Amino acid sequence: MNALLRLLVRDIRGSIGMSPYLVLSQLVSPLVYIFVAGFMYGGIVKGMEIGGVTVSYVLFLAPGIVVSQFMLGASYAGSMVWFDKRMGMLEQILAGPFSRAQYVTSKLLSVMMQGVANALLVLLIALPVLVGASLSASGLPLVLGSLILGSLFFGSLILAISTRIKTDQSLNMVFNTVFAPLMFLSSVFYPLDVAPPVLRIIALCNPLTYSVDMIRAGLLGITTSYLPYEIVVLSTESTCMLLVAVHTFRSVKV
Amino acid sequence: MLNNEQIRERMVKGEPTASDLAEPSGDLVIDVKGLAKVYGEHRALDGITFSVKKGEIFGFLGPNGAGKTTTIKVLTTITPPTQGEAKVLGYDVTREAAAIRKRIGLVQQQPSHEIFMTVKQNLRTYGLLWDMKKDEIERRIASLSELFGLKDVLGMKPPELSIGQRRRLQVAREFMHDMDLLFLDEPTTGLDPQVRRALLDHLKEGAKNGLTIFFTTHIMEEAEFLCDRIAIIHRGRIIACDSVTNLRAKSGGGTLIEVFVKDIDTATVDFVRSMPGVKRVAPPDQADEPLRVSVDTPSTMLPSLLDALAKRGCSVTGVNVKEASLEEAFLRMVAE
Repeated sequence: MNALLRLLVRDIRGSIGMSPYLVLSQLVSPLVYIFVAGFMYGGIVKGMEIGGVTVSYVLFLAPGIVVSQFMLGASYAGSMVWFDKRMGMLEQILAGPFSRAQYVTSKLLSVMMQGVANALLVLLIALPVLVGASLSASGLPLVLGSLILGSLFFGSLILAISTRIKTDQSLNMVFNTVFAPLMFLSSVFYPLDVAPPVLRIIALCNPLTYSVDMIRAGLLGITTSYLPYEIVVLSTESTCMLLVAVHTFRSVKV
Repeated sequence: MLNNEQIRERMVKGEPTASDLAEPSGDLVIDVKGLAKVYGEHRALDGITFSVKKGEIFGFLGPNGAGKTTTIKVLTTITPPTQGEAKVLGYDVTREAAAIRKRIGLVQQQPSHEIFMTVKQNLRTYGLLWDMKKDEIERRIASLSELFGLKDVLGMKPPELSIGQRRRLQVAREFMHDMDLLFLDEPTTGLDPQVRRALLDHLKEGAKNGLTIFFTTHIMEEAEFLCDRIAIIHRGRIIACDSVTNLRAKSGGGTLIEVFVKDIDTATVDFVRSMPGVKRVAPPDQADEPLRVSVDTPSTMLPSLLDALAKRGCSVTGVNVKEASLEEAFLRMVAE
């Protein structure tokens, strides 16, 4: 079996071993956002405009929540890197028939798999009740592209961070102080048109913003003139973060 | 063979006192020349030179912080050297690291296990990582779990195991795959005597079948039992490298008194060192280790020593008296 595949199988076994109920627990929060917050706020907010088309708030919100799932998937996968370091398995694997590049690649693939799987699961559950949304053949590449590139960015970010932290508490602190603000400083919950200038600029640097816009375009079939630029920006940011992660990992002392 | 004066001269100059001099013949599995490793201001390895031949059980002795683990990390390509050369199985550790890693095994000093998998899954996954066939994986799990007393805990996860059981898992795991060279960094830490002996016997058996073993420990009896040759490392330098027999002979005679004392302080150690008739003193590195005192006349020195410790308010919980041994040679070389 290919070395990368062996490492991936190991990660999958580890994830299942972490908790067989992990997947279920990861579904609760996004479904609450969509089915509770989405419909509740939908009673207050009468329609959101995207590319000249008005949609319900829940339809506006749901794609963003789906996309945010890869952040959660990335955080769990990133914690696996931390556990590998802490439990001596990182050193053990690096003394085995694997290179650092293979280890990093396998972790990124694990992150992406977990993130995309989580997101698609939420999407499949939510889709039947999201009137106006559909997973069409033309929209599918945008949806998958959004999830893959977004997972790559956040997976790389978590990998770079995980190699540097030294305690469990630091790991939790990073997740809470980095990911939560990123969700709110994006177009997940509201369009950027209504944001104050400073927050708008910050949100435009956030890859989550572009992932959300891509998946909205894919699910709702509503595209804007900015979409091609958003795809390029997201691809560039993800690639840069990948290079940062690889460079960071190369220099980690084991 | 070098005499004591020659040894001291070499030590002052920082040269190995080896019998490279008893240079091993046969294929060299490890060949290290002038190896140095620097971490910031700290020189963990200071130009060590040694070699290990195929099928040998090579011991690497030294106190905590001497450089044993750093040496293993360099030879297993986990960390690159700062200076010098090192070849493992004929491959350079810097340029041909991948080739080395395919043929070695490592049992680390620190605990290492898959925390979210059961013991059986740990072993099975490790076999998968080494690309072993399924039936061979299952066969080895059966035999290794028997050998290392893990049969009853195969369904438990590491956090549910005792420290000794986790250590056994770690050691057993490394025997899942075939290898030409095995690095063991204080592998018997935490093991009870029965399992410790089973491991040492297993290692001897492996060596008979051509496995080369690089073994670090600070337990002299293990080194004497197991090793063909031993290098003694102290503060990043190899200060002796020879067969067990030759090292014992270099100990210069004398008797070693080991006194287990609760909470001994530096002032007491210095006092013992100043007692007439005391040749050398090595204070304990850890709480459960004894104060080691080398004397020529144990019949008179032992009562004097115990009396002196009692007068200083020290609580003595045990005493051992040993004749000149590898331990004596080791203590003589590192305590100065």
